[in-house]
Amino acid sequence: MNTSALENYILKTADDLLVLGHRHSEWTAFGPVIEEDIAFCSMAQDKVGQAQALYNVLHTTFGYDHPDTLAFLREEGKYTCAQLVELPNGGYDTSLMRHFLFDHAERVRLASLVSCPFEPLANLAKKFKGEVEYHVLHANTWIDQLGNGTEVSKARMQTALDELAPYALGLFEAIEGEQELVEQGVVVSEQDLQAQWQAAIDPILEKAGLAAPDWSSITPVVGGRKGYHSEYLAPLVKEMSEVLVIDTEVEW
Amino acid sequence: MYGGGFIPDDIDKKVPVDQEDPVRLEEFQARIDAGEKIEPHDWMPHEYRRQLIRLIEQHAHSEIIGALPEGTWITRAPGFRRKLSLLAKVQDEVGHAQLLYNAAETLGKPREAMINDLLSGKSKYSNVFNYPAKTWADTAVIAWLIDAAAIVNQTTNAKGSYGPYCRALDRICQEESFHLFYGYESVVTLATGTEQQRAMVQEALTRWWKPIMHFHGPPDTSSVHGNQLERWKVKMASNDAMRQTFLNMYVPKIWELGLTVPDPDLKKNEETGQWEFGDPDWDEFWEVIKGNGPCNHERLQVRRKAEEDGRWVREALMARSGKQVLPLS
Amino acid sequence: MATIKSLDPRVARAELPTEPTEVVLNPEEQWETYEVFHQKKSGARHIHQGTVHAPSSELAYTFAKEQYGRRDQTYSIWVVKTSQVFTVENDNSLYKTVPEKQYRNAGFYKVRDKIEKFKRQMNEH
Ligand SMILES: [Fe+2]
Ligand SMILES: [Fe+2]
Ligand SMILES: [Fe+2]
Repeated sequence: MNTSALENYILKTADDLLVLGHRHSEWTAFGPVIEEDIAFCSMAQDKVGQAQALYNVLHTTFGYDHPDTLAFLREEGKYTCAQLVELPNGGYDTSLMRHFLFDHAERVRLASLVSCPFEPLANLAKKFKGEVEYHVLHANTWIDQLGNGTEVSKARMQTALDELAPYALGLFEAIEGEQELVEQGVVVSEQDLQAQWQAAIDPILEKAGLAAPDWSSITPVVGGRKGYHSEYLAPLVKEMSEVLVIDTEVEW
Repeated sequence: MYGGGFIPDDIDKKVPVDQEDPVRLEEFQARIDAGEKIEPHDWMPHEYRRQLIRLIEQHAHSEIIGALPEGTWITRAPGFRRKLSLLAKVQDEVGHAQLLYNAAETLGKPREAMINDLLSGKSKYSNVFNYPAKTWADTAVIAWLIDAAAIVNQTTNAKGSYGPYCRALDRICQEESFHLFYGYESVVTLATGTEQQRAMVQEALTRWWKPIMHFHGPPDTSSVHGNQLERWKVKMASNDAMRQTFLNMYVPKIWELGLTVPDPDLKKNEETGQWEFGDPDWDEFWEVIKGNGPCNHERLQVRRKAEEDGRWVREALMARSGKQVLPLS
Repeated sequence: MATIKSLDPRVARAELPTEPTEVVLNPEEQWETYEVFHQKKSGARHIHQGTVHAPSSELAYTFAKEQYGRRDQTYSIWVVKTSQVFTVENDNSLYKTVPEKQYRNAGFYKVRDKIEKFKRQMNEH
């Protein structure tokens, strides 16, 4: 097994979850209705918790730093999240659409990892399944209702979709060594995951009255997996670690 | 009859108790004296309804506004453990608002109307949330001591007479115990940590002490409500009694950590068993109530912004039945 | 336009005007309410927990799951529109038990005395 590629695979998966979980958490107490505020915050917690568990695998199995150090005290260029998750929340339209696009991707990724021969990862994939099922249910419900809501809500969701589509494709940017991992049966190729993802979301978008983009004609926003990020990641990381850097040696 | 229909004509209108049907009034009082709970569709004096709405609504507002001081640090919580705990804690406070608005709604005031009264400044919320959370240590002090003070209040009110409010409070109190332990652990971690951390938590405690002393309201002599609310089990304990309970439980714990309470006069009178303390500046309390606290304006502007930004979402899914439906119980 | 200098970075970024904004919710803007029933584990009953505001059954369910199932053990949740719940006004008056109805309870049926009497009679013979 190409362990360094596997480590990178785990790291990018964790980074995606941490950063999107963080973005989700920014909505806490500011949501459009109290009930939704609670639901969205739960999903933020799920994502942050999933990230923590993945960092912990890197820590215990591969000798990486403690999850807190790894997650919060890296330089911006060392993060390998996709740029999709870094973007500011914008309005609830953008946040929901990103959540929809991301969680469907996570769902197919986790399903593919359930049979991963690297057991700690397979175990986590099974463990997270229930949470991700809910996230997808939540996302599908909202996309359906707002797409089929008013002209205003439909237009807003369509705009959000069109804006986020190139970024969403960036989720499937291959990491170095992917080919080898795929050949060894450790992971499923990003290309295959993307196909599964499209097959899952296109009918939901259609039912919501939204026009699914012609995915093949879109240029994905890539670079995140190699440490190239939008202007938004560095301030996010700085903010997340503001208290921790006061003293990195102690418990807070 | 289908659920959720009752809306009184004018909730804000005052109907003096002596204008109520004396027989029903007596029956009502007898039920309360016997420890029975009053349910939404039971007969109740107008004034009972009005005061309960006011009480529960303000409690609900306090929860939703109460999410903001600690929310100040939500994006900066240090490390996974704190990040997750703070998120869950603030989420619970939002959840408490949800439960309490529902309880208040059973009395006939729609949630929209309550939110509007919050946004316009007509309806109040707990003063304590008009103070800023300047450092991370503030979140620890808030989660421990403000929640502790709130728990004293909430466990007391949970023994009140209105069923839906008691049920909401039972649930809330269960969650509050997590807040209390999370807050206590956070304070203890800082207080037993480095000099810098100790200084942070001491400084936060010093700033929060005054609002904490204000939490249970002014001394009872200057309280606006009389005994009627106590007989109806709407008000379950005097402000002073709740403050004493709080001091009794928590001052020793603060001192145990070697932290200083910024009140040289604070001591327990062993003869009376009562805590004595210096004037916690009631003038400031009244000033903040009037809207002149450090964060009153920001808190309301934040809520207004949240409601305004969420409007397109809510409007997109409105059914416009023309008939307001309120929760059953 | 002057904006609020907040300690909360999220609020600071939102650049809220220092001038009070007027925001008024319309009637029904918080949608209608659904009653939530929660089943703790398989074999248990669904028990009423409270309500959620929602625009549809689907969202009511989605909300109820987190508001009433995020902490307690949960097996299943039901939601139903409050407006669909039927009851009778002041129905508690219908349930005042009449003492004569004791024949519906097991305790109403006493056999021990008869058995003892029967045994005594048998012994006498
Ligand atoms: Fe609370
Ligand atoms: Fe609280
Ligand atoms: Fe609390």
